[in-house]
Amino acid sequence: MRVAFVGKGGAGKSAIAGTFARLLARRDGPVLAVDSDPMPGLAFSVGVPVTDAPIPDEAVQERAEGEEGPRFRLREGLTAAEAVQRYAAAGPDGVRFLQFGKLRGSSGGLLRSQFAFRQILSSLPEEGWNVVGDLPGGTRQAFFGWGGYARTILVVVEPTAKSLLSARRLARLATVDPPPDAVVAVANKVREPGDVELVARRTGLEVVASVPWDEALADAERQGRAPIDAAPDSASVAAVASLLDRLGKVS
Amino acid sequence: MLGSAEFGDAVVVADLEAGIGTLTRLGDEVVDVVLAVVEPTPKSIEVGTRAVALAREKSLGRLVIVANRVRGAEDVERLVAAFGEVELVAVPDDPAIVDAERRGVAPLDTAPDAPAVQALVGLAESLAPVA
Ligand SMILES: Nc1ncnc2c1ncn2[C@@H]1O[C@H](COP(=O)(O)OP(=O)(O)O)[C@@H](O)[C@H]1O
Ligand SMILES: [Mg+2]
Repeated sequence: MRVAFVGKGGAGKSAIAGTFARLLARRDGPVLAVDSDPMPGLAFSVGVPVTDAPIPDEAVQERAEGEEGPRFRLREGLTAAEAVQRYAAAGPDGVRFLQFGKLRGSSGGLLRSQFAFRQILSSLPEEGWNVVGDLPGGTRQAFFGWGGYARTILVVVEPTAKSLLSARRLARLATVDPPPDAVVAVANKVREPGDVELVARRTGLEVVASVPWDEALADAERQGRAPIDAAPDSASVAAVASLLDRLGKVS
Repeated sequence: MLGSAEFGDAVVVADLEAGIGTLTRLGDEVVDVVLAVVEPTPKSIEVGTRAVALAREKSLGRLVIVANRVRGAEDVERLVAAFGEVELVAVPDDPAIVDAERRGVAPLDTAPDAPAVQALVGLAESLAPVA
């Protein structure tokens, strides 16, 4: 299974993606959790004890003068699968965690690992690895193909005006080329009976899960712990488990 | 845009993208004050720490930590421990903000007396004192 979570900042992408990755790993073997947000997010929510695990410079080589193709690529002879084994951090339940390196100062220098990150995702064989991706808030990365590895795009939506608007734009990811198999919504921070209906109506998307507002998630966040570790029996973790059931049946 | 436009005497309030991406591209002397909004969570403190380091390195201007969704003294202490000397303004966790967000309205209009709104009014007055 290959999915990517998108949505407005703060909608709950990381919390849900991290929980989803852990549950998927328990049920269905190897999961690569990927974070393309240059700020820490997913690592905490998966429960990986790192905030900075970049793809190192020596894994990447620059295009030779006169050669075709992207400016940087994985070093000659290094396959995507090997790069994952070597550079993805190990997390609980066997989840592996990959990011393209964290933005720090004004010096930039992320370009090399960004190219490598995208190459790994586009060439990792589909057999053997489930992929769960967490994109930064907003629409930019999503429309520039950063979620291109995903067969299902999950738009995380809060029942707020801003989040609904952002999700409505993201719904157009169904029309990119090549299109994903499905673009669907996950309603999050649901508090009122009409919220799910509101999300469906305002985004035009099918709502495949409804995650309730859950104080336990806020507490987990303050502790810097993964929701599934801090609150395994919470209503929100149960809702993510239902999401996994539902997607498992579809694909 | 911030650097190139002429704003005259107008007060400009810019709400930047999450993270520090925009901050890395901001020229010096473009802003007077950088307000780093930070929640009392490890994730948020990590991002805030990088933002503060960058704002300092680039001498972007006066620096204020806006400690948001603060639930008590413990939260404030945690942020003070993380940011040390930096000026800090605490904004309480306030259901009025959550409610306004859901309804898509401005908290200042619908809940002017709510504690979080009052804290922000205080912040605004400290930055641009009413004559
Ligand atoms: N269902 C929920 N109930 C309560 N709090 C939630 C819920 N989902 C997410 N949160 C909280 O909302 C905040 C933003 O979530 P996060 O996953 O970091 O968002 P994103 O990755 O979309 O920016 C975090 O503090 C998180 O703990
Ligand atoms: Mg996130």
